Amino acid sequence: MKNRVNDWFSFSVYRWGMDTTGIKLFDLAEKRLAWADQRQALLAANIANAGTPSFQPADLHPFNRTLSRVGGGVQPARTDPAHRGRAGEAEMAFPRQAGSKTKGPDKNGVTMDEQLTKVADTQSIQALVTSIHKKYTAMFAMALGKGQS
Amino acid sequence: MADLSRAMHVSASGMDVQTTRLRVIAENLANQDSIGSSPGADPFRRKTVTFESKLDSALGANTVRVKRIDRDRGELQLRFDPTNPAANANGYVKLPNINSFIEVMDMREAERSYNANLAVMHATRSMINRTIDMLK
Repeated sequence: MKNRVNDWFSFSVYRWGMDTTGIKLFDLAEKRLAWADQRQALLAANIANAGTPSFQPADLHPFNRTLSRVGGGVQPARTDPAHRGRAGEAEMAFPRQAGSKTKGPDKNGVTMDEQLTKVADTQSIQALVTSIHKKYTAMFAMALGKGQS
Repeated sequence: MADLSRAMHVSASGMDVQTTRLRVIAENLANQDSIGSSPGADPFRRKTVTFESKLDSALGANTVRVKRIDRDRGELQLRFDPTNPAANANGYVKLPNINSFIEVMDMREAERSYNANLAVMHATRSMINRTIDMLK
């Protein structure tokens, strides 16, 4: 009995300890990466449809808004496969119609330079997050005594 | 990663339609002087491409595809050439309604759109590579 209590205690310390140091960051990084991936797909669709009549470009909400929506708070349980996804899944962000100022005779709202700037932006965000993720993994490895041989 | 491969597919569809557009422009330019062969016959009429956005249900993304390739029903120019086999009773030949300046401008635009899709593809590829690099 005592052993089991000890086990449970060390397990919760382990969980609690990890929760405040690393996992939260990984969780955030994962959400941010999912956001960047999804945004990239949307921007690709915008650029591919740059010549489609009456097509309006879409974009995601800024990440901080997305995060406050899915971040803390109570999440509804998923009791049916038809329910929308849980937090952290790809559906966490909702496409937003990004109104554009310039419109030609074909009523297409895509501005190519704007879209390509957004692509570059998304790319650098993704680069930042993956580097931070790698750095943290390396720090964990260091704490575990790896990579010192 | 699923979203990134979706982005690759969407960009590929964009490049595909621009290729079709370029093909139609090539047809138009090549047929700039294609007149009819019998008296009073219609010459080659300019072809136009229309795109449409399509929700690919398998991908769950807005890809693009060619909606239809139409004929430009614009007015035909006439040239007085009574000895031509295509000349009508008054000696006029109908010429194709193709303006090479318009075609070349359209070609430039198709090229730019193709490049933009390619740039997105490059960006997506580097993002995929970076995600895979997280394993290292």
